[in-house]
Amino acid sequence: MRASINRPPTPDAEEDPPQKELSLREIINIKLIESGEKEKLMELLRERLIECGWRDEMKALCRAYARKKGRKNVTVDDLVQVITPEGRASVPDSVKAELLQRIRSFLVSSSL
Amino acid sequence: MSSPRSQQASDCFDDLLDCIIADVASECHRIARLGLDRNLEEEEEELRRSVQARVADQSSGGEANGKNVVDIFGQTHPAIASEIFECMNCGRPIVAGRFAPHLEKCMGKGRKARAKATRSSTIARNRHSRGSPVSVYAPYSSATSTHRVPNGTVGGVGEEYADHAFEEP
Repeated sequence: MRASINRPPTPDAEEDPPQKELSLREIINIKLIESGEKEKLMELLRERLIECGWRDEMKALCRAYARKKGRKNVTVDDLVQVITPEGRASVPDSVKAELLQRIRSFLVSSSL
Repeated sequence: MSSPRSQQASDCFDDLLDCIIADVASECHRIARLGLDRNLEEEEEELRRSVQARVADQSSGGEANGKNVVDIFGQTHPAIASEIFECMNCGRPIVAGRFAPHLEKCMGKGRKARAKATRSSTIARNRHSRGSPVSVYAPYSSATSTHRVPNGTVGGVGEEYADHAFEEP
């Protein structure tokens, strides 16, 4: 047989599974956005976090950090790093549960 | 409940939360950099305290002070308004801060002013005598006559107007 007839095997056979996970996540994200549900979820989460004072706590952390470091030396990345650990940990359980419930029912209803 | 779905939901939630964290960070960054938050620096805070002290004085009793107060744009105003404009009654250039006393004399609360005014306004009134109320006058503030000259008056009556209450036939 001539060499040119044989097609070489596709090179990225090993990379397929990670790519699949990524693309499922992306599919979910796309569906969320297209249906408008992502925006609703964001608004809901924002509202709950404001109500329970979470947002004020995060702003206080930022203010304290800015005061310490000097108002003009602060970057957005700094602040994100400052708030993220505490922010993720201090979301009230009820808020998290409510959002998770809504996300799950969305996933179910979109047969994802 | 299937575990992958819970995991996906949790990932979604984290994603949402990260967005909101980024929003808060961005807003706080803006506030910090623009100096919108009062207590961020000691020096600035002292500066703001002194400005605020003045503003507070103004809001509580600033009318009495009059001078050296700061308005919301940070401007100060002299106690007596100094702009000059033209009196719409006599046409003279008047300093704004002295307009009220001028207007009293100009439009007449005293005898002299009233005598002078009635002469000029009588002429005007005669023109309007048949139907419309006089538009030249503002109502007098004296005790005897507080109403406008009614319709149908003829000239000459105005000269007695000042001295007694006007009676309608």
